[in-house]
Amino acid sequence: MTAHVELRQISKQYGAVRAVLPTDLDIQKGEFLAILGPSGCGKTTLLRMIGGFVMPSGGTITLEGQDVTRLKPEARPTNMVFQGYGLFPHMTVAQNVGYGLRLARVPDEERKRRVQEALSLVHLGDFGPRSIDQMSGGQRQRVALARALVMQPKVLLLDEPLAALDLKLRKAMQEEFRRIHSATGGTFIFVTHDQEEAMSLANRICVMEGGRIVQSGSPQDIYLRPQSRFISRFIGEANFFRGQRKDGKVTLENGLSFADAGKDAEIDCVVRPENMGIRLNESETLPADFDLQIVSTVEEVVFLGPYTHYKLATQNGERIIVEVRDQGQNRCAHPGAKALIGWRSRDHTVLTE
Amino acid sequence: MKNGRFPYARILPVLPSVLVFTAFFAVPLAYFFIISFWRVRAFQLRPDATLAQYEAVFLDYSGPLIFTLGMALAIGLTTTLIAFAFAFFCRFRAYRFGTALIFVTLLALFGGYLTKIYMWKTILGSAGILNSALLAIGLIDNPITALLYNPVAVVITLVHYTLPLAVLPIYGSLKGIDDIPLEAARDLGASRMRIFADIIVPQCRVGILSAFSLSFIFAAGDYVTPLMVGGPSSSMIGLFIQNQFGTRLNSPLGSAMSFVVIGCCVVIILTVAAALFAVTRRRD
Amino acid sequence: MGLDRMIWTGFATLTVLFMMSPLAVLVLFCFSESPLLSFPIQGWTLHWFFAAFDRPGFFTAFQNSLIVTACVGAVSTVIGTLAALSLSRMNRRAAGSLMALLTLPLMAPPLLLGIALLTFYTSWVDVPLGLHTVIASHLVFTQPFVILVVSARMLSFDFATIDSARDLGASPLQAFFQITLPIVSPSILGGALIAMALSLDDFLVTFFTIGGNNTLPTFMWGMLRRGVDPSINVVAVLIMALSLGATVLGFRITRYRG
Repeated sequence: MTAHVELRQISKQYGAVRAVLPTDLDIQKGEFLAILGPSGCGKTTLLRMIGGFVMPSGGTITLEGQDVTRLKPEARPTNMVFQGYGLFPHMTVAQNVGYGLRLARVPDEERKRRVQEALSLVHLGDFGPRSIDQMSGGQRQRVALARALVMQPKVLLLDEPLAALDLKLRKAMQEEFRRIHSATGGTFIFVTHDQEEAMSLANRICVMEGGRIVQSGSPQDIYLRPQSRFISRFIGEANFFRGQRKDGKVTLENGLSFADAGKDAEIDCVVRPENMGIRLNESETLPADFDLQIVSTVEEVVFLGPYTHYKLATQNGERIIVEVRDQGQNRCAHPGAKALIGWRSRDHTVLTE
Repeated sequence: MKNGRFPYARILPVLPSVLVFTAFFAVPLAYFFIISFWRVRAFQLRPDATLAQYEAVFLDYSGPLIFTLGMALAIGLTTTLIAFAFAFFCRFRAYRFGTALIFVTLLALFGGYLTKIYMWKTILGSAGILNSALLAIGLIDNPITALLYNPVAVVITLVHYTLPLAVLPIYGSLKGIDDIPLEAARDLGASRMRIFADIIVPQCRVGILSAFSLSFIFAAGDYVTPLMVGGPSSSMIGLFIQNQFGTRLNSPLGSAMSFVVIGCCVVIILTVAAALFAVTRRRD
Repeated sequence: MGLDRMIWTGFATLTVLFMMSPLAVLVLFCFSESPLLSFPIQGWTLHWFFAAFDRPGFFTAFQNSLIVTACVGAVSTVIGTLAALSLSRMNRRAAGSLMALLTLPLMAPPLLLGIALLTFYTSWVDVPLGLHTVIASHLVFTQPFVILVVSARMLSFDFATIDSARDLGASPLQAFFQITLPIVSPSILGGALIAMALSLDDFLVTFFTIGGNNTLPTFMWGMLRRGVDPSINVVAVLIMALSLGATVLGFRITRYRG
């Protein structure tokens, strides 16, 4: 079976600037895909190429087996929710939502019914006659979503859809997006720089850096098995231990060593803060399966509510963060105290890049 | 977002404007400049490459030229000073009346050019409004004849005409000044004078300069005002330029005079700009 | 009230009086019975209005003014708006220098513009002078205002609305007429009214490029040269009222503030 959307060697060059390097990407029907990356990584350009707003410099875009690479945006069965929404200020909410149907010459009766359905779907059923400047930020977001959904797009494109909203609204809208995605069963592609948003919404994440997709996989995959320093830094927090791999054995600069198959190279051993353990009393020991252990010095203790961050330094100067699910009971941990830290070797990732 | 799809569609619409600019401004002005090197023989323009017109300007018209530039400078500086004080008042001291006062300025902008000159003539004339009013309330016994037909009347009329023109750009740049840095400066211990000199003036230099340029150039190029209210002692260069087209039919000389005036204006404006920037440069 | 405040208030009052009183006095004397413009005013009349309208040539001049103003307003609005929309889509540097170029005529003294155009029309292209040459000449200094006003509006224009319209199936032309134009139209109308006010009020450029015809300002000039009678006040007030009305309306519509 061929994929719903297929990008083949798609690329974009602005003068001397290569915004998107030749990229392949398959998107399945019903997928909720996040394109995640820092600003300037080419993610919006990629999305706008799928929508038809940017003409690719090379490659092809296929939608349900049909080549749409040269089609203008108005001729593509995709619809987009724009950053800043792009609502028409001189039209009411209902006129905004009905604009696309009117252009498609959908009969009045049917148009009204579909506009009402779309508005109900985003919980704005009674807001049709309102003008746009009477709507709040979150409501405008919903109008933009309804305006795109009413067209029953084969693919819905969302460009930083939640960037303009405050934290509380963002959480609420994430909830809405999940609900609407399962209610419509459509294919959603959205672009974001917020890793938490990507994690909570998408069932697949493509991480972009410097104009190319550097890793693609489920949220768990990306978080637990990052394939580069960049990804492990960009998604969540991570501790890095530099070292050497020789003859299937890794020796870290702080003196620890463990077996690891692979060719000889400079490596980074990456451990998530929540996978690390800490003991502050000399009398206590870490669980037996914490096979890698080292003594460090506490530099700072930051209480964060449900958990506490211990910031430490090893003897060779590596900075380490350990996240512990406690509520700051370890009051004896003052800066300068010695602490035993460790992790299980199955919880770390070795990067050769 | 701008898309890279239709590059020509984006450039084409500007062409009619550029065409009008080229056909009715750039080309006529260039042609007008070129004929300043031509001659007139038997009432016909003859192509030539002579500097005779420029020689004539400097030999025969240096008096009016210097007088004109002096007048224009006086008018430009007076206008700019009043305009700055007024705009400053509207922005910082008038509170809620500020916008209303600027609106009044806008009204004053479009009273009609000839109307304004003619009104000053009737106000300042010996049987005019000012004299008759002063006579009526018994402040004077005989009309003051010295009000009209002198350089001061020209200055008053042209300051009146250019004032609203000058207030608007200065007010525009004063309005762009954020209140918070001003409060921060006071918080850091700056006096009102220091705030004025160090923060406000440097931020509205462009506004001040465009106000000065507008009023100065307008005054230097005007001829109706001196003709109507100036009297024989205030023959400004515009009058002589206009004469070359009205009665003398010597357009090369008129053109040479025009470009000498423009050249002098540019030099003076650049000098004023340099002085303004030197005086208001930030000191460390 | 402190001394400081009194000085400022006094200064501002005097400035406003200086700017407005000649115009107020003008309106007052339109209705004054005496043919002499002097105080105290003896009685009131509408006589001068009829006198002005009865003058030979007044209605031709009035008609010519309307024709010129309407044509200049229409043409400079269309080409100025097109230019502004086009500038808003260029990169900042190109747009900035093109804008500086197109607004350059505002810095030229009207006398220079008038005589340069006169020489150009009569000595080079050799066209007869008339209303058409006046209209063409006025475009030079009215289109910059339309460009400035519409460009200012485009700075805050949300280009995502156009993308949205295209995305929903609108062709470029449909997007222009159904989205861009309705959103920007108040500014376009404002720019148009200001352009018309400038054209109506212009004397110098008109004077040199009109040949034997008259518009209201050149008609008024003729009256001024022939000796003053109060019907001239009526013509002046008429010009003022028309240009002022257009301007106030224009600024109101665009919500221009300084």
